[in-house]
Amino acid sequence: MTCLPEKTDKKLGLLIDLNICVGCHACAVNCKEWNTSGITGPMEDLKPYGDDPSGVWYNRIHSYEFKKENEVDRTVYFPKPCLHCEDAPCVTVCPTGASLKRSEDGIVLVNPDVCIGCKLCSWACPYGAREYDTSAGVMQKCTLCVDKIYDENIPEERRVPACVSTCPAGARHFGDFADPASNVSLLAAENDARELFPQMKTKPVNQYLPPRKREIAENKKLDQKVTNIKDALMKWATLDFTG
Amino acid sequence: MHPALSVIIFTTFSGMGYGLFIWLCANLVFASSPPSDMEIVSGTALSTILVGIGLVSSTLHLGHPERAWRAFSQWRSSWLSREGVLSVLTFGPIIFIGGETYLKLGFEYLITPMAVLGILGAVATLFTTSMIYASLKSIPAWHNNWVIIGYQVFALSSGGVAYIMIAGWQHYRLVSALLLIGLLVKIITWIYIDKHRGQYKREDALGLADFGRAKPFEPAHSQKNYLEREMGYNLCPRRRALMRWIALGCGFIVPAILLYMVFSIDILITIICLGGMMAERWLFFAEAEHVVRLYYDKDEV
Repeated sequence: MTCLPEKTDKKLGLLIDLNICVGCHACAVNCKEWNTSGITGPMEDLKPYGDDPSGVWYNRIHSYEFKKENEVDRTVYFPKPCLHCEDAPCVTVCPTGASLKRSEDGIVLVNPDVCIGCKLCSWACPYGAREYDTSAGVMQKCTLCVDKIYDENIPEERRVPACVSTCPAGARHFGDFADPASNVSLLAAENDARELFPQMKTKPVNQYLPPRKREIAENKKLDQKVTNIKDALMKWATLDFTG
Repeated sequence: MHPALSVIIFTTFSGMGYGLFIWLCANLVFASSPPSDMEIVSGTALSTILVGIGLVSSTLHLGHPERAWRAFSQWRSSWLSREGVLSVLTFGPIIFIGGETYLKLGFEYLITPMAVLGILGAVATLFTTSMIYASLKSIPAWHNNWVIIGYQVFALSSGGVAYIMIAGWQHYRLVSALLLIGLLVKIITWIYIDKHRGQYKREDALGLADFGRAKPFEPAHSQKNYLEREMGYNLCPRRRALMRWIALGCGFIVPAILLYMVFSIDILITIICLGGMMAERWLFFAEAEHVVRLYYDKDEV
């Protein structure tokens, strides 16, 4: 059913720390590695070694340069998978029931056996989370590695999405945002977590920790220290012990 | 948005077909001299053909056309599904009115109620078609009431031109007036979408509005992906101006003038009008910018 559940028992999702991400693309590579041979695979990969490679990725790593007055420019690496929105517009527009949001954990999925490939869901998503597989004629998207996180045949500590287990910097956290005591909820509460594009009113489950504030003030402090030392030396030089 | 021919044909042909059918039904219900049997049969036949071409064309861009029947199932949440259900239901009155008039099966007392149902069905179908687009918050050029008004008015004006071709000239002043209303609606829609460009910024999309201005540093991938091919259509201002004039000229101005002059080759007016509507619909897609472009090449949408 493409009506959204009123409430999901869990809100499984990712917390991505933009301050830590170094833009290495390991999450995207491991995502493709896992999912191309997982339940949603194979993921389209046309002319991978040709001049014009093209294919489906559930997770793409953008990067942006931020400029602000009185602050040093900063480069922000920006991984963007599906945000598994609470008010997912991609689900309600689906005419066939192929798109769904699970009431137990809030994961948004596409059933490839029912999808007619009308692409309307990809139009409805403001984030570009859905990509069309031209070979299979169906829409594809991030599954939050639903075939990995519940797999009891692998050790419990490895039951996290492929992008999370592979991140060498520890920039991605996986957990239940509905539980206020979970790792992701605590991190989000402590660190000014952001949702993407709040104007779209999709209530994304995934959240992002912004880059930490850095100001030119740090340099000023250094200047201050140097002046202090200079002053002190001058005082000794002139044998001035006042103040 | 990439202007796909299949969707342009779907909305323009079915729009003209439903508009023609509304004109026919309105004449069956309200006109002092109801249309002749010949007019009813040819009118319903042309409606069926136009709507049929539109619906078949709409399945051409599907990845799995053989599963299209599944699209009738999710009418509780999906405007596309509602459109599918209503468009098929509206075939009922169209085929009944045409069939009864041609075959004379003795149910002619049902023609007037069926004509009322037909008007309601066609208007509702056009509304659901417009809502497929108007419900998408991610495409600001579509997410407004002018799109809903436009789909109704353009169906009635282009369908009116087709109705004159079928049933003669008694309503030509009304149709040319409707064409002028259509012209106004289109111009107001363009003013509206042009004024509302740039309301969303890249920094909003990134959730980092307090970090200053962001610009893309290195691309997320070396070649264009599906999102850029589907949503990343760039329309240059000169082509936009040319297409806007073609849409206004062929869709509204030329048909209105020719109708007012009672230009005798009415099929030519219909073809010009349909061509103009296709130019209008091409623009409807080509001009609409999707907010996902904020993550790629657009600073604002």
